[in-house]
Amino acid sequence: MTTTTTRLYCLVVDDSLVVRKVARRILNSLKFNVDEAENGQVALDLCGTLMPDLILLDWNMPVMSGIEFVRAFREKYGAVSAKVIFCTTQGDVEHIRDAAAAGANDYIIKPFDAAMLRRKIEAVLGIAA
Amino acid sequence: MYVANPTAIKALADVVVSSMQRFRIPLTPENYSLWYEYHIGNNRELQRTMDVIISNSADFDETVLHDLYVTFLSSAKEAEIVRETSVNVQDALRNLISVALRVGVDADEFGAALTELAAMEHTKSTDGLRDLVGHLIGESRKMAEKSQVAGARMRESASKIETLERRLESALVEARTDSLTGLANRRFFDSRLRALAGDAMNSGDELSLLMIDVDRFKRVNDTWGHRVGDELLRHLASTLQRTVRREDLVARYGGEEFAVILPQADAAAAIAVGENIRRALASVPVPLDVTPVMPPATVSIGVSCYQPGDPLSEWVGKADAALYRAKQEGRDQVRYIQ
Ligand SMILES: [Mg+2]
Repeated sequence: MTTTTTRLYCLVVDDSLVVRKVARRILNSLKFNVDEAENGQVALDLCGTLMPDLILLDWNMPVMSGIEFVRAFREKYGAVSAKVIFCTTQGDVEHIRDAAAAGANDYIIKPFDAAMLRRKIEAVLGIAA
Repeated sequence: MYVANPTAIKALADVVVSSMQRFRIPLTPENYSLWYEYHIGNNRELQRTMDVIISNSADFDETVLHDLYVTFLSSAKEAEIVRETSVNVQDALRNLISVALRVGVDADEFGAALTELAAMEHTKSTDGLRDLVGHLIGESRKMAEKSQVAGARMRESASKIETLERRLESALVEARTDSLTGLANRRFFDSRLRALAGDAMNSGDELSLLMIDVDRFKRVNDTWGHRVGDELLRHLASTLQRTVRREDLVARYGGEEFAVILPQADAAAAIAVGENIRRALASVPVPLDVTPVMPPATVSIGVSCYQPGDPLSEWVGKADAALYRAKQEGRDQVRYIQ
């Protein structure tokens, strides 16, 4: 029996190069294909080319912020299967509430590590990554 | 939901415990207080966040539970202070408004400004409350200046508010301070460590940590007694405060162990601060009036740097391991683990 495994595709949206690098390293180790965008607008354009299975989304970004992205994304692409995990910093409870209302699926608190991110992804995608 | 009688308390505890069992949550004090808060429903943000997690059938693993605790409950004391103070601030506002109306100051100019302030959702956070109190002081001063008649009463009101402001500040400081040494306490250290690591992850800036332990502290306690031991800890605390950089955070980590968080310091800069501390301490006798004279105290110091993507526990663990190495290799030294 042969099995073909399709790699899942994750878009990392963050204006911080360090966060993108860390996330890419972790996601690669989980066998994801990874693309990066430094703001919501770039991410929105990339989604038009290839729809991600997962979007890891920063809150504060120039040009287009995380919450603006979620709203625009849900409006433009409707109920596509892409899951959105947004990144917040400690204590941004308002962000958690607003993002959930706008259509984010879950959140992760910075600073995150490999184990934390893996568990979030497994929970959101309902898989063992 | 207010629970007063023992039967109701027992019933609530049963609900909490069985809900924890359903999600297979270890029954620790931290976790229990999370679930208790969830079920009692006072903390709406916590409830909302836990609902998001539950509805996504996410795991309540150790990290998530700790995040929830740090985010929503460990700062509960601070929140309580803010809540209490904001009640007092609202009282002060009402007083000011009624005084303003009674003495017939121009309602447009003062009354309206104050009413607007009172209506604002200022009072939910520490910073918001500080802003509000600041505004209040300004407004009441303006009123005092404008109204000859009401001058004395306005000044009285203003000074009450200023007292309130000082009480707020001191209560907030107290909640994050170690009472013996006056340094940041462990709780505040933990929350700053997390926040600064988050900043470092965003900015890409360096972030380092020193773990500091007094050498042979037990011997000091055994020889001179606990009171002198306490004095030594205070001496060390003030030496630390004088020696670190302005932007560093010094905390009492526990017992005779101290910690320093150094933002924007790479390994070399952190080791240099550690060396300064070690030398400052070892060069002068402990300034205590005891016989025989106490020789200089020494410390062992472990250094590590935060690597974004690594667990915080690993970062702290490395500094601890470096500290252990400094002890093993003869104490009174600084060791770094990459
Ligand atoms: Mg950002």
